[in-house]
Formats: sequence, C-alpha cells, structure tokens
Amino acid sequence: MSNKTSKLDALALPFLIIGGVLIIFAFVFNFTVTPMALGDIEVPEPAMIGGKIVTTTLLLSQKIFFYHMPVAVISMVALAFTAAYGIMFLRTRNTKYDIRAQTATEMSLVFVSMTMVSGVAWTRHDWGAWWVWEPRLITYLILMLMVIAYFILRTAVSDPERRATYSSVFGIIVAVNAPISFMITRLVPSTHPVVFRSDSGLPPLMLIPLLLTILGFSLIAFALFRQRVRARQMEEQVESLKLRLDDLRG
Amino acid sequence: MDPILEVIYSTVLSSAPYLIAAYALMWAVMLIYIIYSNRSLSNTEKQLSALEEAITQLESKA
Repeated sequence: MSNKTSKLDALALPFLIIGGVLIIFAFVFNFTVTPMALGDIEVPEPAMIGGKIVTTTLLLSQKIFFYHMPVAVISMVALAFTAAYGIMFLRTRNTKYDIRAQTATEMSLVFVSMTMVSGVAWTRHDWGAWWVWEPRLITYLILMLMVIAYFILRTAVSDPERRATYSSVFGIIVAVNAPISFMITRLVPSTHPVVFRSDSGLPPLMLIPLLLTILGFSLIAFALFRQRVRARQMEEQVESLKLRLDDLRG
Repeated sequence: MDPILEVIYSTVLSSAPYLIAAYALMWAVMLIYIIYSNRSLSNTEKQLSALEEAITQLESKA
C-alpha cells in the first residue's frame, strides 16, 4: 500500500504542471480560435465577420462558461469521492479513508468557491443581478453551505473516532446534494443554461477548450488531493512522534 | 464604426469587466489554495524531521 501511495504522490507534481499547461492552452485557444457565442437579440441586417454571416449580437460573457462549467463539475465529482471514502470508513473504521474524505470535501470547497465567483460575475452581466433565486443557484447554494457545515462539524467534535463517524455520515448526505443540483434544471423550469444533454450542443471549436479545461482542472484537483492527503498523513505522524518524545523525556 | 457591427458587439465591452473579474477571482482562489497547501506540507515536513532528529538524539543518549 505504501508503494502505491508513494507512486501516486510522485505523480502529483507532474499532474499539477500538465494540468496548468492544459488550462493555459485552453484559455489561449478560447480567446483566439474559439468564436464568440451568438446572443438572442437579432440585428437589423446580417454582417460578415470572419467569413461567417452573423445575424445576432455576440456574447463575450459566455466565455466565463469555459471555466465555470468544468469547476462546477469537479466540485460535484469531489463530493462523490467524499461519499465513497465515507462509506469505506464506516465499513472498515480505517482512518486513512476519513483523511481522504476530508481532503475530497476540501477539494470540493475550493471548486465550489471558484464556481460561485464565476457564476455571480456571469449572472450580474447576463441576468442583471448578482444573485437570482432560481432552482440551480438555490440547490448549489445549499450544497456550498453544507460543505462549509461539514468542516464546522469536524472542528466541533474533539473525539477522533466520533468525528470521523459523524463526518462520514454527513459527507454522504452532502454528496446527495450534487445529483439534485445537477438534475434540477432538467426537472423543474429554470433559467440556468443546460449544457449536458444527448449531445453537448457545442461546435468543435468550443468543445476543445472546454474538454481541455475539464482535463486540466481534474489533473490539478488530483495533484492537490494527493498533496493534502500526504500533508495530513504527516500531521498524524507528527502527533504520534510528539507523544513518543514526551515518553522519552519522561 | 459600422452601425450594424456596433449592435453586434454592443454587449462585448460591458461584459469585459465581469469576464476579467471571473477569471481573475477563479485563479486567485486556486493560487491561494496551492500556496496554502505547499506551505502546510513544507511546515509539516520540517516539524517531522525536527521531531525525528530529537528522538534519535534522545534514543542514542539512553
């Protein structure tokens, strides 16, 4: 197991670098090659731009989507890992799963924060308000508050065994919110755009930077996850060495 | 500027500050977390090596 762990840790830095390069490449591609999305407002007469006939306004704000959607997806995937590690802890009582569940939730919080800041910027421009009480935003806000509550719960319980058990159960409950938030725009009327359908609905020049960004952020998330798990494992070692040192000093 | 092009690009300038803010804030969140994670790992590594050294010294004396 230790060999497997060290191999995964060795991949962290290369994955972080490759992920960063992919995201930067996708960013440059997005602002140089990818055309601007077409808006809903029709212009009085068509115009020729870049060899194509344009009949509507062009939306620069849609380019926020190329980061917003990938980080939102990763925030939800991270919660799936929280639930999976929570279940593994409850079945085995092995603290290594609790460490991983905590770290996966931390990853989710980072990506939830990124989703929120990009989302409100887009909402302010396109919907004219910083916040709109619509189903996707409400369910995602609940998800964010529950992720924060997960960490409050962890700091509130001092006994390690009870803390791990409670947070594993709560982590599974938090993760249930992810599919609800994802599916809500398909189940009830919502003004939030729906991207995942039978096909993405995106032309290849938009799909390429989007997929590269998803891959890039996934690699970064994995690298940071491994780094944080390693740090937490070492923190545990530090605590046990402190006790040993106290014993030696008498 | 052509009046038709002016209409086509009418939302571009107004959305630019929000676009820049969105990308800048997302990168800020990510970079802050990467720095925090690196510092935390490096501090723990230092603590661990100091403790191991202290234990080795005490054990060799005993």
